[in-house]
Amino acid sequence: MRAPSTVGEALEQAGISRRAFLKFCTAMTSLMALPPQLAPAMAQALAQARRPSVIWLPFQECTGCTESLTRSSALSLESMLFTMISLDYHETLFAAAGEAAESAREQAMKDNYGKYLLLVDGSVATGLDGAYSCIAGVTNLQMLEEAAKGAAAVIAIGSCASFGGLPKADPNPTGAVPVSALIKDKPVMNISGCPPIPVVITGVLAHYLTFGSLPELDALGRPKAFYGNTIHDRCYRRPFYDQGKFAKTFDDEGARNGWCLYELGCKGPVTYNACATVKWNAATSFPIQSGHGCLGCSEPDFWDRGSFYKALPTGTWGGAKTLAVAAAAGAVVGAAAAALARKRQRGIGEKE
Amino acid sequence: MTPAETESEHPLELGAPRFSVKQPEVRLDRQGEMEDTERVERALRHFIRDFGRTAAVYLESCVHCGQCAEACHYYVATGEAKYTPIWKVEPFKQAYKREYGPFALLFRLLGLKPKLTVERLQQWQELIYDACTLCGRCSLICPAGIDIANLVSLARHGMSSAGLVPHELWAVAERAERQGSPLGATPKVFQERIEWLTDEYEIEIPLDKPRAQVICTLSSIEIMKYPKSIVAMAKVMNHLGLDWTFRSDGYEATNFGMLSGNVRWQKDMSLKLIQAAIACGAQTMVLPECGHAYGAVRWQGANVYGKPLPFRVLHISEFLAENVDNGRLKLKRLAKSATYHDPCQISRRGGATAAARTVLAALGVELREMSPAADMNWCCGGGGGVVTIHRADPLRYKVFQIKMEQIESTQAEVPVTACSNCRQTFDDGQAHFHWDKTMHSLLELAADNLEESPR
Amino acid sequence: MDLLAFARGPGLKYAMFVFVFGILWRLIGVLLLAAKVDRSEPRHPASWKGLRLIVLRLWPRREFLQRTAAIQVLGYAFHIGFLVVLVFYLPHVLFFEDVFKGLLGTNLHGLLGVSWPYLPGSVIMMAGAVTVAALVALLVHRLVSPVKRLLSNFDDYFSWLATTAPLVTGMMAYSHVGPPYQTMLAMHILSVELLLLWFPFGKLMHAFTIVISRAVTGMEFERKGAAL
Repeated sequence: MRAPSTVGEALEQAGISRRAFLKFCTAMTSLMALPPQLAPAMAQALAQARRPSVIWLPFQECTGCTESLTRSSALSLESMLFTMISLDYHETLFAAAGEAAESAREQAMKDNYGKYLLLVDGSVATGLDGAYSCIAGVTNLQMLEEAAKGAAAVIAIGSCASFGGLPKADPNPTGAVPVSALIKDKPVMNISGCPPIPVVITGVLAHYLTFGSLPELDALGRPKAFYGNTIHDRCYRRPFYDQGKFAKTFDDEGARNGWCLYELGCKGPVTYNACATVKWNAATSFPIQSGHGCLGCSEPDFWDRGSFYKALPTGTWGGAKTLAVAAAAGAVVGAAAAALARKRQRGIGEKE
Repeated sequence: MTPAETESEHPLELGAPRFSVKQPEVRLDRQGEMEDTERVERALRHFIRDFGRTAAVYLESCVHCGQCAEACHYYVATGEAKYTPIWKVEPFKQAYKREYGPFALLFRLLGLKPKLTVERLQQWQELIYDACTLCGRCSLICPAGIDIANLVSLARHGMSSAGLVPHELWAVAERAERQGSPLGATPKVFQERIEWLTDEYEIEIPLDKPRAQVICTLSSIEIMKYPKSIVAMAKVMNHLGLDWTFRSDGYEATNFGMLSGNVRWQKDMSLKLIQAAIACGAQTMVLPECGHAYGAVRWQGANVYGKPLPFRVLHISEFLAENVDNGRLKLKRLAKSATYHDPCQISRRGGATAAARTVLAALGVELREMSPAADMNWCCGGGGGVVTIHRADPLRYKVFQIKMEQIESTQAEVPVTACSNCRQTFDDGQAHFHWDKTMHSLLELAADNLEESPR
Repeated sequence: MDLLAFARGPGLKYAMFVFVFGILWRLIGVLLLAAKVDRSEPRHPASWKGLRLIVLRLWPRREFLQRTAAIQVLGYAFHIGFLVVLVFYLPHVLFFEDVFKGLLGTNLHGLLGVSWPYLPGSVIMMAGAVTVAALVALLVHRLVSPVKRLLSNFDDYFSWLATTAPLVTGMMAYSHVGPPYQTMLAMHILSVELLLLWFPFGKLMHAFTIVISRAVTGMEFERKGAAL
């Protein structure tokens, strides 16, 4: 069967009913806080849209983002993704490997030059001129530079590609940097999260195909529709926070009653993501609902922001030893100042 | 200045209701021929020398709340912010931070505190001397517990060594150091007065006994203005059958060295008394009706002397009260209503508030306390040397109105106090305002009402 | 490193260091100055009774009340409100418990068997509002009263600012008013750091020195039998 060139054709081939497709479009417009009247317009646009070529480059990543994306085999919003795009290069999902895979990539890039979407997951190593991370003998640095040249837009999937993620955590031995640190001449969108919520990617792509542009981004390059609120502001346990009901350990009465997890290190108040509303695994649950505080995984440098289990206000400042040193030093300087003053005083006393 | 010059330059005025140096035609509120820079230098040095941990803690704790103003009769009577008590020591507070405090080096290196100037010190002379009697009400109101009155005292040390004491106060202090009395009651004059009083009142007044149990002291104000007080003291001592004496080598209990801020003179003046007491082997020193005399010997004497005093120190009111309490002193009932003006240095600052009331109770008067009374009473406005300073008179009269109002409100017949300086301040105020209430002496009241059967 | 990460991390580290360093410097620098020995005979035998002045001066004597009551009330509204916000707001409690844990190895519960209490956020906001209102009123008084205007210097005004900024930024962060939450939170923490940096060098040290000065005067006056 010929590869479907439009989304409509792909839907047909995948056996997805018109009804299911309309449901998808309604869900998308709602998720992205677009007016509901746009749903049929989106449906029409999408049906006729040419499936864009997508090159997916994996760099210093754990494949978690791909895992998250491909979890569900049943029909879901996540799997809709694959009907909307022509995934022309993905190392994990590809049947091909080695030279065959690489030449497929190069061909796709050539054929769709200027029009393909470049999706990247994992951070880029810059240490030792990028030698820390190579694919087929080519450093990530080089590969990214080359691939970005012909891309219409770059989408950084996951916190590693968006902000550097785990490889960038102190002491950052590979000199890991986010995609946005290297690509300055193309639009870069960050879909952060460790992993990101799959439906976010779907929603962004639906937007792109419908309107021909990336959605509105926040200061960190993340789509505002999904990253516009903090977990805290949408969390169903918020009333307990306001009332002052907190779980103090993972199995105390508060925990069993589903109270707020602030004391157990939840970083919800400073984390922007859609987990509390969209949730995970087809809206099954999210970490807090499962009784574990938010790790703040969609924020930059969340690995270096202090323990996941220490409450947000404790900070990352280093604690008691510093204070002991400060006290000792202060006492010494104070004693010296007093000694000087007393000496001066004695000097006068003797003179008079 | 040579003694002869002082004699003619600063003649005494002993005719007015309050004794002082004659009002100068040209004020000389500077002493010595020093350069301005030297004045500042000396002010600073003496200020630092006398400073201690306590004063440092005080100057670190002020938060500029301004409540001290509300306690001060100068501010309350005039509404002028400059009389805010802690403001009176402002140049010294800044000097402390700049020269002596823990951040002194920092302040100097970064130029954060202005250097002390002679102009500033001169500006402050009025605040430190004319407008402060060291009454200590401010020390009671301060939320930080700062003893502001004590700080003003310390500031006077600096001012004195800089030669920036108000004219009359310096003159009487100099006279006291030189002649032994601020008001010309030299030992010779003192002797003559004693002789005269002995004759006039037909009473035995021992002078210069080689050994005695009790040494009595006086203030020049009593010697020159209220000689009946001397008689009263003798009467009580004799009535109690005590082995007591006056000593011409140590009789002047006022301490204008202390009041003007001259540390050396303060020491000289106190040591005279202390050494006279030791010389005659006295077990008890009785201080006269004088407020600052009490502070000078009872609380500062031992520190000036360098070791604990080998005798008890009692204010005359304490002495009387003690003998009322032990039953040796019985007083006739005086069927009058009275109100008591607490000398600040005896009651509030001195801790001897109860004594006078014990005596008044023994006198059986109907005691009508002023409002506020006892430890919280208002100052007469003349203490701390203020009454000597002519240019301070208008301010002193303003402040005196508070006292008049207080006493009028009690409608008591007999206002009583136990300090001759308060007494002369009241006399002067009475004359100025043509007031009909005359202040009385507690000692004289007691002496006039002794139960006839002596023990 | 973004602003919030700096504020929570190195910013806090340096500020806390200077805070403790400066306080010790100032306190030791004063307490080790030459103390004068008093050789006069005390009226009462030596005791600790004079220390009661620390408590007595919390409220003016009856005779002074008429002239001082209003400002006393405002002062307490500020101090108590500030204390409530500082000590009974959960995020602050968690911070302090963490500091104590680092210093003592245990939190309050481990030490005394009682958990550090806290109040709901809305109550804290009310306390904060009262505190800021009192602060503003006190500033107005400082500007308008001739006595306070004469006495006041840079220290007075800057200390006011350093004290008020954390309250205002904290309340803004809590209510999501103004810049985005993360930024506002960073500004709040930075304003606290400013307060910590300034604390040892200005009048805010009265938090420590006032206890000492009251104690010293109390002991001295009690020694003389003078009025406290």
